[in-house]
Parts: sequence; C-alpha cells; structure tokens
Amino acid sequence: MADFRLPANSRIRKGVTHKAPSGARELRTFRIYRFDPSSGENPSVDTFELDVGECGPMVLDALIRIKDAVDSSLTFRRSCREGICGSCAMNIDGVNRLACTTSMHDLGKEIRIYPLPHMPVVKDLVPDLTHFYAQYASVKPWLVAQTPPPPDGERLQSKAEQEKIDRPAACILCACCSTACPSYWWNSDRYLGPAALLAAYRWIIDSRDEATGERLDALEDPFKLYRCHTIMNCTDVCPKDLNPAKAIAEIKKMLVERQS
Amino acid sequence: MTLRSPLGRAIGAGSAKEGVHHWWTQRLSAVALVFLSIWFVVSLLSLPAHDYPTVSAWMRQGWTAVLLIVFVLTAAWHSQLGVRVVVEDYVHDSGMKFLSLALVTFFHVAVAVAGVFAILKVALGGAV
Repeated sequence: MADFRLPANSRIRKGVTHKAPSGARELRTFRIYRFDPSSGENPSVDTFELDVGECGPMVLDALIRIKDAVDSSLTFRRSCREGICGSCAMNIDGVNRLACTTSMHDLGKEIRIYPLPHMPVVKDLVPDLTHFYAQYASVKPWLVAQTPPPPDGERLQSKAEQEKIDRPAACILCACCSTACPSYWWNSDRYLGPAALLAAYRWIIDSRDEATGERLDALEDPFKLYRCHTIMNCTDVCPKDLNPAKAIAEIKKMLVERQS
Repeated sequence: MTLRSPLGRAIGAGSAKEGVHHWWTQRLSAVALVFLSIWFVVSLLSLPAHDYPTVSAWMRQGWTAVLLIVFVLTAAWHSQLGVRVVVEDYVHDSGMKFLSLALVTFFHVAVAVAGVFAILKVALGGAV
C-alpha cells in the first residue's frame, strides 16, 4: 500500500535553535529541515533567527547568510541565483519553488524550508534526483531524424513551429513539478512525472523530429503516462510558468487521435 | 539494494502499449452518465407518485427499461474503470494488486448483471 506515514528513520525530531544576536532590526525565523546521514540520527527541524536586513531579499540570500554566519554545515544546492539553473528548488512554506526567485517580502515572519517532497534526502535540503534525471533521459530528449540535415545549414523550422516548442523547451528541470505531484509521490518508480512528460511533449511536437510515433508508443502505458490524474499541482508550482498539465493532456489527445 | 543502472530502472519493463482505450472509455462513459443521470432524476421526479405501481408501470415502458439498462451498465463500467485506477494507484504489492483487480472486476460484473436482471424482472414481469 501507499505509505501515508514517514518511515521510522525519517520521522522528524526537535532540532536546535539559533537565536539572533541582540539588536537585530529585521528579524525573521527560519525553520529548516536538517538531515545528516553520517550522524545516524533522525532528521530534525532547526530554528534560525536571522536579521534579514543584513542580506539580500530572496530566500536564497537568507540561506547563504545562515551558512556564512550561523551554521556552515547547512547544506543546499545553488548556482545561478537567477532562476535559470533550477538547483535551489526546495519546499518553502509548503510550496515547491526556487529559493533564488522567492522574495521574503511575499512570505510571513516565519519561513519553513524543507527539501523537495517525497524524494530520498542526501543531506539537509539536497534531494537525490538520480531517478528523476534517469526518467528524463528515458524519454530520449534529443532530436531523432532519418532525414539528414541540409548540407549547407541547419534544420529549419517556421516561426509558428518554433513557437510551439518555445515554452515547453524553457523547462529548467528543477523538479518542482514532479515532486509536487501526488501521483508521482505514490508511483514515481513507474510514472514518469510532469517534468519528463513535458520534455517528451517538447520533442513530440518538434517539427524537425521524425520519431513522433515511437515517442507516443513509448508513453502509451497505464503507468508511464496515465498515472496523471490532472491534479495540476505541476502547473501551479512551475517557477517558469510552464504548463506540464496541458502538455500531458495534449499527449493523451494525440494518442486518441491517432487511433481513429 | 540494486546495482541496476538508473536509466535501466527508469525504463523498467517498457511501455505496455495500452492505456488509451481505458482513458478514452472512462471519458466517454462519464459524458454518457451525465445525460443518463439527468434523464433518470428528471423522469423519477416527474412521476405523479412514487409508489410501487406507478414506478413499475413507468419501468414497463419500452424506452424506460432500455435506458435504465444502459444506465446501469454504463455506471458499472465507469465505476470499474475508476476503481481499477484507484487500486493501481495505491496497492503496490503485486499479488495483492492482481487479487484486488480481479475482485473489483467480479464485483462490477455481478452488480451490472444483478441490475439488469432486476430491471428486466420488473419490466417484463407483467402487472402486479
């Protein structure tokens, strides 16, 4: 059966509290999920009081400040700090989002930060995305064509053809969508999840690709595709404002259309 | 513990090349049920009385019995498709899953046949 309770070794115990030094002007409280596999202990939620007047306005700025000034063992991924690398995806106040593009002004005095839900945790806010990436690779996210490219240039698309893939191709693989999907929580071993399906769709509708049929064949499966029950958390949380739910609906539509 | 590659695990047993039919039938039966349910409720409400003679007389009209049978079969079919998805979603143990799916199918067939039988019994049973 589906697990509705965390496994015994994942249940959260009370963590430590780091008080802010006196004289802080703009105080915020961060409750952050901590897990260190080498300690052998269960995860905890640590409390950090921080003067956010001393750092930038985004949640990532606060995390970097905590790591610099309070607890250097706090572990998280980050790179571009401008919403294009997808590294700092995490669950902030119950919503999967990028720490670098989430302004603290839009959040309350107390901010809860957890790793992306229902993924194995490597350490603190770092989830293990191996399977997620493998699922992406399994949809063959590259151009497949028998027709050789023109000898004097690249494969061309019309403007309208490019516009079709323009948005779906903007996915940064941050995993916010897939890890927000209950269907993916219960069946991620077999269900591809919104991110991989959006990528599959991006290649299915690419006018230059010639493997549309094989791609649709590979998706026609009760689990790989049809575990999507149109819950639409994916579209709700996408930090790039993409629409994986619509992409999945379009794939389902194409599968029906090619039968009659 | 497995040493299988991540890609091997993601691909798994590959595609079952099935699922369109299930998905499409579920949608189609849902649309049919919208109309059938409205017809059923409106027809019942517009009966002059709701005692046994009135309702059974209504059921003995040819079209009523036909539509009632369609209604029962469509509802059972739609329900079977839906419950199957719920079982697949939540029951992960392979043996348990196949057992549940078999029971779900048996149950819906029994309900559908019992419903049709009941309608026919009233519709063809003659005056009470």
